[in-house]
Amino acid sequence: MRALNWQWPTRNGLPLPGTMISIVVAVTALGLTASVAEISLPRLIGSLGKMTVFIAQMFQGFNWDYLPQMLAKMLETLEMTVLATAIAVVISLPLGVLAAKNASPHPIVYRLTRDVLSLMRALPELVWALVFVSAVGLGPLPGVMALAFVTVGFMAKFFAESIEVVDSKAVEGVHAHGASWVQVRYFAMLPQALPDLVGTLMYILDHNLRAATILGLVGAGGIGYDMVMSMRLFQYDRLILIGLGIYVVVTLLDRLSDTLRSRLLHGKRV
Amino acid sequence: MSSISIQSVSKRFPNGFEALKHIDVDIASGSFTVILGPSGAGKSTLLRMMNGLETPSTGAIVIDGERICRNKLRSIRSRVSMVFQQFNLVDRLSVMTNVLTGRLSQRSWFGSVLYLFRREDMDIAQQALQRVGLIDKAWNRADKLSGGQQQRVGIARALAQNPKVILADEPVASLDPVASGEIMTLLREICERDNITVVVNLHQVELARRFADRIIGMNDGRLVFDGTPEQLTSSALHTIYRREGTTHESVELAVAYA
Repeated sequence: MRALNWQWPTRNGLPLPGTMISIVVAVTALGLTASVAEISLPRLIGSLGKMTVFIAQMFQGFNWDYLPQMLAKMLETLEMTVLATAIAVVISLPLGVLAAKNASPHPIVYRLTRDVLSLMRALPELVWALVFVSAVGLGPLPGVMALAFVTVGFMAKFFAESIEVVDSKAVEGVHAHGASWVQVRYFAMLPQALPDLVGTLMYILDHNLRAATILGLVGAGGIGYDMVMSMRLFQYDRLILIGLGIYVVVTLLDRLSDTLRSRLLHGKRV
Repeated sequence: MSSISIQSVSKRFPNGFEALKHIDVDIASGSFTVILGPSGAGKSTLLRMMNGLETPSTGAIVIDGERICRNKLRSIRSRVSMVFQQFNLVDRLSVMTNVLTGRLSQRSWFGSVLYLFRREDMDIAQQALQRVGLIDKAWNRADKLSGGQQQRVGIARALAQNPKVILADEPVASLDPVASGEIMTLLREICERDNITVVVNLHQVELARRFADRIIGMNDGRLVFDGTPEQLTSSALHTIYRREGTTHESVELAVAYA
């Protein structure tokens, strides 16, 4: 760097010691763990051929007879996603208030809610789905339960964080006019946190759709079961339909969330 | 009859800073009082105490014969409203909804969670907006308004709760001279017509002279001046704005250009 007459904006022109140590530690850790995770370049290159064969088989044709069943399953997946997310929103809003430092009624409540939420997030949907499948049997119901459960863990935490950054001046303004505990949260905090909440909601809806597609793996409903079965039975003409179907739905959802969010952020509607 | 009675109030913050030192003041009902003083003199703390946003370390504050204490805050705040330097509006809500938040103290949480208001609340809010001349902006978003307009929304919100007292913490510090004059005229007119006690913190000596019935001067947490605008001589100003290292002349010069 000296030779190029360049230097970092620090006292001695070298990067900060903390930054340097972090980078060295991270690179070393990656190097050490690569072999444990069986990451090897030769193996990757060696399997290129197999991958090409797999992809080539995928594009051999579409099984149009399967389309109606695929659409029905896709609809079921979508319904599971929306239902689970809606249930999670209803539960997450009050929990989010309890888990936000500036809105929680007491530090102990705040701590406790945070801990419960991290417990809910601790295991992925698939594991909770296994638990619920053994509890209520096969079908979309355990899938919805598992999705809603984990989503509450995430959503309430995100909600809490968006409530924590609201402008405290507006909160004081409403507070000073004699608004009650609930009213301050409704009229000063919620409107300010709303764009963030919608952003979170859209992201989670998107995430849940993808999560719902694999829940079928353990018999918890949705398109996942079909996907796994057609993969095991080498029915590539079905697999490609399923893949495209998921892609189209995820993309549409993404478009929708973008539109909704920009509407809310730029106040086309109040 | 005194509307606000501050009885030997002191305030020490947790970090040890003593913001107020034994303040004793009675403010008459329906009067227009301006508090002057350098930054950090304790003006804001004193004003915020009258609304229960700060609690005194010692002493008591009595509003309309009722002592401010924790469990009476909501009832006190329903009669004492506040206008802020930074307006403290909820930006994303409409002007109308912001004014309606002034009615919340009269309503239970039940309708509030659905954002429902009664007909009479809407009428009161509409009248308040009419008074401040912003009825045509009622359904605009609060953050789309200019500073002067936002402060008028703040005043409409204060009016909407039919208060006995309006406290204004440097209400014109973020505004241009013309808007400042308009806001002060509005407050003065509210004081006279509705017989509402108004207490204003100000940095503008000239505005204080023009609008106040009574001027209170504070310096370093103490009351150092109490009198009519006519009694506010240059030596009184020197006492109010005195600090270590300033000479009589420099204070006078600064005040002359204020």
